[in-house]
Amino acid sequence: MIRRLHALLGAPLLVGVLAIGHSLESRAEYADVVLNRNSEKEGMRPVVFPHWFHRIRFRCKVCHAELGFKMRAGSNLVTMGDIIDGRFCGACHNGEIAWAPENCDLCHSGKPGLPPGIFGGHETNGPGIW
Amino acid sequence: MNRILRVPMAVLGLAAGTLLATGPTFAQDEKGKAVYDKVCVACHSAGIAGAPKLGDAKAWAPRIKAGIDTLYESAIKGKAPAMPAKGGATDVSDADIKAAVDYMVAAAEGGAGEPAAAAPAAPAAQAAPAAPTKPRPAALSFNRLLKPASKRNPPPPEDGIHDPDNDGTHALQAPLQVFEALPRSNAGNRVDWVKSLDNNLIAPRWDRTDPAAAPVVMDLNIVREVKGSMPDVVYPHKQHTAWLDCSNCHPQIFIPQKGANQISMAAILLGQKCGVCHGKVAFPVSECRICHSKKKNVMPVKNAQAQ
Repeated sequence: MIRRLHALLGAPLLVGVLAIGHSLESRAEYADVVLNRNSEKEGMRPVVFPHWFHRIRFRCKVCHAELGFKMRAGSNLVTMGDIIDGRFCGACHNGEIAWAPENCDLCHSGKPGLPPGIFGGHETNGPGIW
Repeated sequence: MNRILRVPMAVLGLAAGTLLATGPTFAQDEKGKAVYDKVCVACHSAGIAGAPKLGDAKAWAPRIKAGIDTLYESAIKGKAPAMPAKGGATDVSDADIKAAVDYMVAAAEGGAGEPAAAAPAAPAAQAAPAAPTKPRPAALSFNRLLKPASKRNPPPPEDGIHDPDNDGTHALQAPLQVFEALPRSNAGNRVDWVKSLDNNLIAPRWDRTDPAAAPVVMDLNIVREVKGSMPDVVYPHKQHTAWLDCSNCHPQIFIPQKGANQISMAAILLGQKCGVCHGKVAFPVSECRICHSKKKNVMPVKNAQAQ
């Protein structure tokens, strides 16, 4: 009887928690990165960076060695100023190699309120210190 | 950019308006072409992800046979595996989408455009009736590592992190438009990226500006003996140097000296060592045997007894 009561009480709570976690994370494409340390403060949607889309076109090394994107989540603070000056995303998104930064809503396409980080069911967590 | 687009669109609109007076079918064709040029062209001109090319009579024949209403429905509601609803442009009206379908059908029947000599596997892939993806029972979604097929690689507007109210979201490429043509794997993006690169199915640039630059691939395997019963780890430099620069890993993550690196699954799961990439962007740790791939030399028990 008590067990049944537990099940009755627990079920909606559990489903609720799962629904939130699930809707946010597990449907996103593996290795999608959300950038939102500045975006929403500045009145724009968060940025979604799709790794899969870029790795079809460029090897990891291009961004992570040439452009200076560090491989640790949270260690790259990218601003629109950088991009317009040709740093980070702006090294390619300059209207020559890829489309120019005036297409705001292609990058700033995330749901409002998303925390910055890696989405898409990644399985290694933690601080990633090396 | 917007202004440049707007002018021809206005001209087109005007043209369509004047043509309406002379002949409604012709005006309809113009409308269809305008929508095609704006939306459908992205896939249907080059035949991306099995899309039947404009004017490719062979690829279109089985589809036209299925009836124009079926075609309309596929175009408006989308069709597995790669056709998004309204080609991804949800702001276009049903009538306009139908006009675009009419335009493409007319092009196929009239043989307009260049008929492709070989329609690569497109009829076989799409002529089959689209099996509606049944929503799986919710029980399966408890484990995020066991995603049912219907939840894998959703297009941006449905992936939970893109805002569907944002116009740009609908202009983004859907993963499956590309992944369908690549070898699949069981985890991560569910694409075998190494095989895709080896088989030249993708051609990612090694240099930001020079498309012809080739990587300096280093073919050196490092075998790491592991404790316990798991097979030893074979680390191939080859597959890593095809994507990465030496400096990505050395010397910060891995000291380039034999015996200098302590690696454990615990560290990897904390996002260190191999876990800097594996589990975040490269295949995750659930794929044990891709790394743990070298059978151990088991002690030859019989010989030991003989001695």
